Amino acid sequence: MNSHAEHATDAHGHAHPELGFIRKYVFSEDHKIIGVQFLFTSIIFLGLGGILALLVRIQLAWPHAEIPFIHNYFPDNGGRMPESFYNMCFTMHASVMIFFVIIPFLTGAFGNFTIPLMIGAGDMAFPKLNMMSYWILWPAFVLISFSFFVDGGAAASGWTAYPTISSVAMPAGQGLASPAAPGSGPGQVLWLLSLLCVGVSSMMGSVNYITTIINMRAPGMTLYRMPMTIWAMFITAILQAFALPVLTVALILQTLDKTIGTTFFLPDGLSFGNWSPEVGGGQPLLWQHLFWFYSHPAVYIMILPSMGMVSDILATFARRPLFGYRAMIYSIAGIAGLGFIVWGHHMFQSGMDPRLGTGFMVATIMIALPSAIKVFNWLGTIYRGNLQFTTPMLFALGFVSLFIIGGLSGIFMAATPVDIYIHDTYFIVAHIHYVLFASSLLGIFGGIYYWFPKMFGKMMNDNVGKAHFFLTFVLCNCTFFPMHMVGLAGLRRRIPDITAGALEAKLLPLNEFMSISALLLGLAQLIFVANFLWSIFFGAKASQNPWKSNTLEWTTGDPVPGHGNFDTVPIVHCGPYEYGEHGDKDNCPQTEKSTTPVAAH
Amino acid sequence: MGNKGWSVLFGVTMLACAIGFAVSPLMGWWMPEGVSAHAGAVDGLFYLIYAVTAVAFIITEVILVIFMWRYAKTPDGKPPIAPNAGFPTFLKPFESFLNDHHKIELAWTIVPSIVLLVIVFAQVNAWAEIKYATRNRNDGTKVDSARAQIAVSARQFEWRMRYPSAARFKGWMAEPAATRKDFESFGKIPHFDDVHVVNELHIWKDHPVVVHLTTRDVIHSFNLPNFRVKQDALPGKMIPVWFTPTKVNCKWDESRQRYIDGYDPAGKKEKDKEYTWDIACAELCGWGHYRMIGRVFVHKDQAEFLDWLQKAEAEGTRRN
Ligand code: HEM
Ligand SMILES: [Cu+2]
Ligand SMILES: [Cu+2]
Repeated sequence: MNSHAEHATDAHGHAHPELGFIRKYVFSEDHKIIGVQFLFTSIIFLGLGGILALLVRIQLAWPHAEIPFIHNYFPDNGGRMPESFYNMCFTMHASVMIFFVIIPFLTGAFGNFTIPLMIGAGDMAFPKLNMMSYWILWPAFVLISFSFFVDGGAAASGWTAYPTISSVAMPAGQGLASPAAPGSGPGQVLWLLSLLCVGVSSMMGSVNYITTIINMRAPGMTLYRMPMTIWAMFITAILQAFALPVLTVALILQTLDKTIGTTFFLPDGLSFGNWSPEVGGGQPLLWQHLFWFYSHPAVYIMILPSMGMVSDILATFARRPLFGYRAMIYSIAGIAGLGFIVWGHHMFQSGMDPRLGTGFMVATIMIALPSAIKVFNWLGTIYRGNLQFTTPMLFALGFVSLFIIGGLSGIFMAATPVDIYIHDTYFIVAHIHYVLFASSLLGIFGGIYYWFPKMFGKMMNDNVGKAHFFLTFVLCNCTFFPMHMVGLAGLRRRIPDITAGALEAKLLPLNEFMSISALLLGLAQLIFVANFLWSIFFGAKASQNPWKSNTLEWTTGDPVPGHGNFDTVPIVHCGPYEYGEHGDKDNCPQTEKSTTPVAAH
Repeated sequence: MGNKGWSVLFGVTMLACAIGFAVSPLMGWWMPEGVSAHAGAVDGLFYLIYAVTAVAFIITEVILVIFMWRYAKTPDGKPPIAPNAGFPTFLKPFESFLNDHHKIELAWTIVPSIVLLVIVFAQVNAWAEIKYATRNRNDGTKVDSARAQIAVSARQFEWRMRYPSAARFKGWMAEPAATRKDFESFGKIPHFDDVHVVNELHIWKDHPVVVHLTTRDVIHSFNLPNFRVKQDALPGKMIPVWFTPTKVNCKWDESRQRYIDGYDPAGKKEKDKEYTWDIACAELCGWGHYRMIGRVFVHKDQAEFLDWLQKAEAEGTRRN
């Protein structure tokens, strides 16, 4: 403990000379500023990803109509959206949402902001590395934004970028245009390079989070006194550190295939139109293994931090101890562990040996267990509570309610024979959006409303927040729930015109309903943006601990602490969840000695 | 919105989802009728999981909504429930259990594990029957196991089917043992007299078929939703796909002088959507992916299939 104490004092003990604007707010080494930087960029990319999604929805509901606003770009097509443009829209929608929105929101914004504050540290272990992890994203932003304007447009072979459509290239020296699809030319190369930068950024973050959590906890902050948010960030960082190198390798191999004519993913004997690549010898399935070896753990990277934040928010506003704290930790660890051996469930129909499919199926079905346990524990937490329906609480409850749906639909797809039918249909799209939009993103909104006072010293408007929640909750179900049904009816994913197939054409009315809901859902997010920006400048002043929460970030002197966070090193005396009856108050901050043994169970 | 209002919002929304899902079969937003021998196993497993997840959904959402209602903060600030309040009478018998958190946690770990294990074991066999080569290998020794064979090569954006000539096909059927080598070479080695057809898969009722699936450019997916068949075509590989059609959907049309599909043998309708069975590519393969759609024609018996094959052969010769 002693060395921890010294370290923390040390971090604070540095004299902080007044920094200039650039060092303070732009190239900042303060984890709070870096967190807020991640937050702003993620919100901006959420807007871009959202617009792409709405283009997709418009095309799906009105496949033969002129596209509003941008029809002038399609003069050859009568103002209607060309198929390749549609493919680009959904590819870039998913890529942006996953790599530039959800991951930077969770590990970038919240990981940075919460970790040192909640463990009582002055900053991250490696502040400069932390700064780099943000700024290395900028090349990624530039590359991905620029890719929309290159020949053939941005990447269009799905966020999964399966070879050979993504990777096949003309012989070296003949330019980057792809014989397979227009978007698989220079746009694909920029996509690959951009993701490489994102990976480097995440890796820097992970190293920092792991070190900080292991080394820099305040005295008394034992591992089993850490809030769930921190546990989730910790395990997520470990997941990321182990999984990312594999994605990096895969991206590099595909980049080489595309640029210098290697054939890691290109087998013998293919032909595209009249042209055949002369060399082959590669294996397209290899990409899928490498990609999913990263991307399945990545889907947990995209939800575990949200689960952690939701756990903290639920306990705070239920005024109850988190039910089954240890079981919660073990189930996150279980999800993370199992998460490494289930990647093949994305490849049941891929041509992989079907016996291997059976193995992956068993692991995948069993991963539903820790997910179920978490749901039961959240229900146990609000049981006998004194529920305060603040905006963050509503988003957390919304998370629980909708994660149930996303988890249950996973079981259908994990069942190999059923997956034969629903693989690559809208059922999968429904699943994705229940876990990523209706769960992760709701958790993110909850986190923003919850920590906003700590970030900006102001409160967000609660009534406007509730309106935002109401519309988001209702409309996201209207948008995504019917996808289960159209998927079961056979609607394939990734098609721009649903009137081509015998099974699909009759689903047009339901598609229209989903698209109108999606447009309204998009509009409802403007309420959030307005509330967010307005509150930064004109919001009511926040008190030091507006939610009467227990965790350390609410014990800093000022509502928004300066660089170094704590005036004196906090000493931790109890776990984070002592809510309920404590004599005359109903909470017990971690810096105080526990008064009643509420946490007996 | 009052504090209790939120539980109503959650309850109503989840109820709407549940009702929407429950009535979808009536609205036609549901799986089409399965028309292959293994469709029953796939659908049966689907309904098993449907039942299990429906129960889990109802229990958890109902509890969530009840708790949100019951424990909502009261306007006068008093806790919604006294700290030492007992359980409602209908739960009294379980009081000791409910007070023991350790037991509760054990219960809600063990019960779902068992249910999940049941789902695991319920499916192993169906998957093996559908996809394992060991269960589907055709040794060519018995006529009734001799399969219809079709080589399907996918490309942007169509399905190219290759059938054996009628004479060769008859030889296989008549003398399986003697023609075994030739029979087994069909998938890999094209013949000069093979019959080539685009986007039409012809088979006949109640007879197993094996499709030798390849692609010459990018990944496509050989997706026959009505048959519960889906298999990606992987560049550089030939992948076998087995199934057995169980319903007829085509007949000879005198006026058009060709076989037409979309025909319900029992019904009167000429063109019935329910009897139009697509081969709808299910893996993104480029701009034309959405319209890479072929059709399955299931003939009523082998004789009719042979008749079609001969006509297709003649047409091919005429064209050359
Ligand atoms: C109960 C736990 C879960 C199970 C059993 C499960 C199972 C599956 C399976 C089997 C697939 C592949 C389906 C197919 O392509 O045919 C899948 C896809 C997917 N899952 Fe899950 N899942 C679970 C939870 C989650 C969570 C928590 C997330 C993310 C936060 C997630 C995100 C995704 C995504 C993004 C895909 C689609 C990837 C793509 O093809 O584009 N899943 N899931
Ligand atoms: Cu997965
Ligand atoms: Cu396709």
